[in-house]
Amino acid sequence: MSGEVVKWLDNLIADVDGVGYKRKSERRIRMDVASDTLPTLLELLRGRASYVHLSAITCVDWIKDDEFELVYHLWSYESNNLVSVHTRIPRSPGVYVSVFDIYTPAAFFERDINEMFGLYFEGSPDMDKFILTEWDGPPPMRKDFDAEGWVHRKFNFQDDHPDWLKELEEEGGGVAIRPEEVRLKLQAARRAAEDEK
Amino acid sequence: MTDKTEIPVMIEREQDPKRTNPLAHVFDELVKFCRSRSMFMLHYCTGCGAIELPPAMTSRFDMERLGIQPMVTPRQADILLVTGYVSVKTLKRIILTYEQMSSPKYVVGICSCTVNGGMYWQSYATAKKLDEYLPIDLYIAGCMPRPEAVIEGMQKLMADIRSGKASNWKDYYRNYDYYLGNQQHLFGENWQTPTDVIGEARNYSLEGPGTTGEHTQLLEQYQQPLEPITTHFRIGESVTVSGEEDT
Repeated sequence: MSGEVVKWLDNLIADVDGVGYKRKSERRIRMDVASDTLPTLLELLRGRASYVHLSAITCVDWIKDDEFELVYHLWSYESNNLVSVHTRIPRSPGVYVSVFDIYTPAAFFERDINEMFGLYFEGSPDMDKFILTEWDGPPPMRKDFDAEGWVHRKFNFQDDHPDWLKELEEEGGGVAIRPEEVRLKLQAARRAAEDEK
Repeated sequence: MTDKTEIPVMIEREQDPKRTNPLAHVFDELVKFCRSRSMFMLHYCTGCGAIELPPAMTSRFDMERLGIQPMVTPRQADILLVTGYVSVKTLKRIILTYEQMSSPKYVVGICSCTVNGGMYWQSYATAKKLDEYLPIDLYIAGCMPRPEAVIEGMQKLMADIRSGKASNWKDYYRNYDYYLGNQQHLFGENWQTPTDVIGEARNYSLEGPGTTGEHTQLLEQYQQPLEPITTHFRIGESVTVSGEEDT
């Protein structure tokens, strides 16, 4: 059974126009589709080709192309194959259709992507705040988010405290034998051993 | 029900002029000694530093020979051990935990992440300087510090408690406005904790000029008044509302 499904899929999908099909290895397939045909392809894979498990939805921000890339990872328990369906959508307005009606777990991933990338999924049941409950800035996983600037605006860093270690050093603490001294000693011992030979 | 003011409160004073008992200081020394030798540690394991604690606590390095024991609830613990990076969400829980602990209490920050953000200094989600939000008694730097270093630090804390140097928990009451201001900067203006810190400060007579200020005013502004909760009991067919007379 499993071999047949894989063969069937290889033959069928390779013939379909508009679907970039590439077998990466024995168990991995990559497909590239246009964003408007993706739900249909998922419907087909789930309904006809036993890809019932959506493991994850990944989002990549290609800021130079002004596009988001969405990757849907589907797993089949019958043929033990992982299909990664890639699609690209424009960065603005950043709206895409939800696949919640095909795969229920998509709600979780879509909510996460909405929070981290600001990509809105139409038809997803809940697009509220998820993990970043106190967040009031721009979506932090976008490439144009300046993390370093944000950190410097939001947080203070420790000042230099040269007196912090003084107390320890007075008590005889700190580094007793420096690592380079250990290394030199070892080298000298090795040389002596070689000379004896 | 007795009035709140009638309940006797033990007040700790820095220098009591009325102290006439010659043995009072001896007694103080004894109390400090005992305090430093029996510490219950609440380890709030946020990051990777937690890995070094099991060997430090168990048979290999055995912290218990110093009188330090792990404790599971904040209300029965003396030391709050924060091990590793603190995300903004975790910081909220740490503050809630800290305020639940009974005085005197000590906070120890382990790992470089608690000192200065450590390797997560660029992260938008982790707090950088823990001593802005809580009064820290001791930092144990390292990434991660070995159990020997942890025990060394604990011995330092014990010595500080014995000499009376470790009294930063009083600073939380005296400068509550400063700490609250930093907390509000991260969590928003309407940040509230269930503990009445200002009331506690008055109780311990540790209220200073920094206890109240502009930030504590916000606290009062956003405080929601407590409302009586009505409870409904369904017994058989009749519905009884507590607080009302059942006819």
